[in-house]
Amino acid sequence: MIAPGIKRGTAELAVLSVLEDGPLHGYEMARRIEEQTHGSLRFTLASLYPLLYRLEKRGWVRGVWETSGTGRRRRCYRLTPAGKKKLAPIRAEWSELFRALKRLAKVSHA
Amino acid sequence: MRDWEALVKQRLAGLALEPEETTEVIVEVAAHLEDTCEEMLRHGVTEEEAVRRALSQVGDWKVLQRKIRKAKRRGQVMEKRVRQLWIPGFLTLILSMLFLMVLQKSGLQPRIVMSGSNTVLLYVPWLLSLPFFGALGAYVSSRAGGSRGTALLASVFPMLALSTAYLLMFPIGLAVEGIIGRQVDFSAVATALLRDGVGWLLVPGAALIVGGLLAHALLSTRSSSRSTAIG
Repeated sequence: MIAPGIKRGTAELAVLSVLEDGPLHGYEMARRIEEQTHGSLRFTLASLYPLLYRLEKRGWVRGVWETSGTGRRRRCYRLTPAGKKKLAPIRAEWSELFRALKRLAKVSHA
Repeated sequence: MRDWEALVKQRLAGLALEPEETTEVIVEVAAHLEDTCEEMLRHGVTEEEAVRRALSQVGDWKVLQRKIRKAKRRGQVMEKRVRQLWIPGFLTLILSMLFLMVLQKSGLQPRIVMSGSNTVLLYVPWLLSLPFFGALGAYVSSRAGGSRGTALLASVFPMLALSTAYLLMFPIGLAVEGIIGRQVDFSAVATALLRDGVGWLLVPGAALIVGGLLAHALLSTRSSSRSTAIG
């Protein structure tokens, strides 16, 4: 498991990445992230919704109410064009960080 | 079947958002808890245990409430301030100053109210126009939901801006006089401060606030008579 302090910074990237494949509601999103990271990243309700509302305020995601076949109302989130645009630099920043850590680790082990 | 919405509504009772927004948050959080619980039931967990595990995701409801409120309100305070104070305030400032410039360009001479060394210059048509500009500032601010205080602040905004400039101008002037080695006559400075303060700040400020108060009183009367009609 990854420590909470490290996970906090990855949350935006995780949510935006998982929404890149298509719209999802909160519960599905949390499940998808957990599945795709083999349980390394887990979003609880308390961490997911404040983040989604923040991303919505920034205009990176948009929530729309939808009614399922069973008549249940769910708020589905989709990536906005601004969110798609933001995803690339966030990805680049994280890739850069991972490369830097890898280089640092090599130096440390040398 | 558990009423998740009632439970969430009770736990997030102090959310203090707009009613529609609060309802949306309650429905969304309740749906998440319901989905979590149903998934666990499908995996053979007892209902009691499923509910306990679903609720354990939240931990402290007060913390969740605070986080949601913070996330939802981000940017709203600043937006409100811009709409209720800065836009009407700058509108009042620009229009009143433009009108003064037009009057000056058209050759209007200021009226001298006191003679001798204590001369106060007053542009009477400009002063007469200020209640209208003050009323406009208060009207725009009130329409944007500004409180009485904010509306009045927007109406006297030109004088607040001028006062700031005025208060900065004199110490800078005194410093410059000191640097170039000229003797400063403090009694003359005090007289000038008083004279310009009355002619350019106090009287115009009073004219603006009269307009602001009238506009606000008019809007309050209208809105109260409208709500009486609805009620």
